[in-house]
Amino acid sequence: MIEIDNLVKHYGDQKAVNGISFTVNDDEVLGFLGPNGAGKSTTMNIITGYLSSTSGSVKVNGHDILEEPEMAKEHIGYLPELPPLYMDMTVLEYLNFVCDLKKVKKSERKEQLAKILAMVKIVDVADRLIGNLSKGYKQRVGIAQALVGNPDILILDEPTVGLDPNQVLEIRKLIRTLAKDHTVIISSHILSEIQAVCDRVVIINKGKVAAIDTISDLSKRLSGSSKLLLSFKGDAKKVGNSVRSIPGVTDFKLRISDKEVHEAEVIVDSSTNNDIRTSIFFAMSKLAAPILEFRSLDPTLEEIFLSITSGK
Amino acid sequence: MLAIFKREFLSYFRNPVGYIAIALFSFLSGYIFINNFASGAVNLSLEIASLRSFFVVIVPIITMGLLAEDRKRGTEILYYTTPIDLFSVVAGKFLAALLLYGIMFINVFVHMIVTKICGGVVGVGAWGSVVVFFFLAALFISIGIFASAITDSQIISAITAFIIILVIQLLSTIGKLLGNAISAFLSILGVSAESASSFGDKLESAINWLDPFAKTSNFRYGIFSVAPLFFCVSFTIIFLFLSFRILEKKRWAQ
Repeated sequence: MIEIDNLVKHYGDQKAVNGISFTVNDDEVLGFLGPNGAGKSTTMNIITGYLSSTSGSVKVNGHDILEEPEMAKEHIGYLPELPPLYMDMTVLEYLNFVCDLKKVKKSERKEQLAKILAMVKIVDVADRLIGNLSKGYKQRVGIAQALVGNPDILILDEPTVGLDPNQVLEIRKLIRTLAKDHTVIISSHILSEIQAVCDRVVIINKGKVAAIDTISDLSKRLSGSSKLLLSFKGDAKKVGNSVRSIPGVTDFKLRISDKEVHEAEVIVDSSTNNDIRTSIFFAMSKLAAPILEFRSLDPTLEEIFLSITSGK
Repeated sequence: MLAIFKREFLSYFRNPVGYIAIALFSFLSGYIFINNFASGAVNLSLEIASLRSFFVVIVPIITMGLLAEDRKRGTEILYYTTPIDLFSVVAGKFLAALLLYGIMFINVFVHMIVTKICGGVVGVGAWGSVVVFFFLAALFISIGIFASAITDSQIISAITAFIIILVIQLLSTIGKLLGNAISAFLSILGVSAESASSFGDKLESAINWLDPFAKTSNFRYGIFSVAPLFFCVSFTIIFLFLSFRILEKKRWAQ
């Protein structure tokens, strides 16, 4: 568990982080979102003990990162934005070096490394120079480095940045495997990534927390109304009038109108409890306008993100 | 500390740096030795004394990347986010560079053996020179590490180390010039010639006090004393400590 309380970090006059507080529960995957320069990396650097905060505190499993740094750091595995790799070492040499730094006991080392190599799938390249590996493999070695010492918390700063789509999928899969028995914090400005793996998101903007919630709650809270997508054949004008007259429907917006096929957005007041979809179906059937597609349109994380960070 | 030491030392041989430094030192020491040997006047103290003048080139080569490269490549984050303490990072790197110097110095030991075999003398003065050589090497390496701590560019680090070491090597000349200049200046201002020159002398001796070469010059006659070594060790520790503080500062920068 990580408790972050009122974290502030100044760089000269600039406030990179300005009073961030949140808690990360055990075994959850927390997404840490924000536009570039919002203070994501700074916050992560403070949590891991790389930087000190100007004020505020970070407690990792009850240990303050500044007062008991050794105890706190033991619980954290960190993959920074730029993986801290030595290009002139082989993967195995490098991981052994990290074992030395993290004071992993000699007796446990071999077993632990074998497990990590298998988990992040770098057994084949264990004896190759890190400098000669592809970017995806380097990222894996970076994750392996974070796993050394069996930390229960993993902090991954933009783990898929600069990878090709295949590598992104593989790393995501790996993160999902790791999430089973680790607490994970992932920062990203790529929203689909967070949506794919996270339980909860913290959105920060200009050094402050803009929102903390689960993804589904966030979308509900933000929209206040829900949207349905309706695509149909028939007379668009008649359908429009008829759907608008159904109680609970606040708007009917034609998005695409072809000769035959139309697509519309139906905005529904979500405070009405009865399911409006049945009424729409019968209204359409009365007009003999066949429904081609009918589904709910929840706001994507992209929309949530934009609406929060732009201050609307 | 051992982990850092091991990594840095081996890293000298994963890159050209270690080989370049060893080759350079072997060439220089071999050249000096062969010249002396051919003329039949081998003087190991003198050989070692001449080799000291190459600190200014070799030390920057082997220290420039020690901390600067970590900063540039982001690998320094490992030191800050693992339980290792930052002073042992500095100390481990220092010892790795010192050991590399030790390896280069094997050349001179070979020369000693050759001298001995050919019936020459390896006197106590030669051993005195060896001792001084290592204390000076330690001092200059710590300066090189300091230069590597203040920047993330190897070039800037090397130039900084080069300039500091050059100034130290020229301290006695600098002292003389400054002393003379200040007495001349004072006499122009109308100060009596006697007090002007005494002030100049004082300035010169003050600058000379800082000169580690002058301090340790008696060793090559076989006269050992603790104070000069203590002087070198103190300054070595000061520079290592400053480097450590620079690393710490990075964490606390506001």
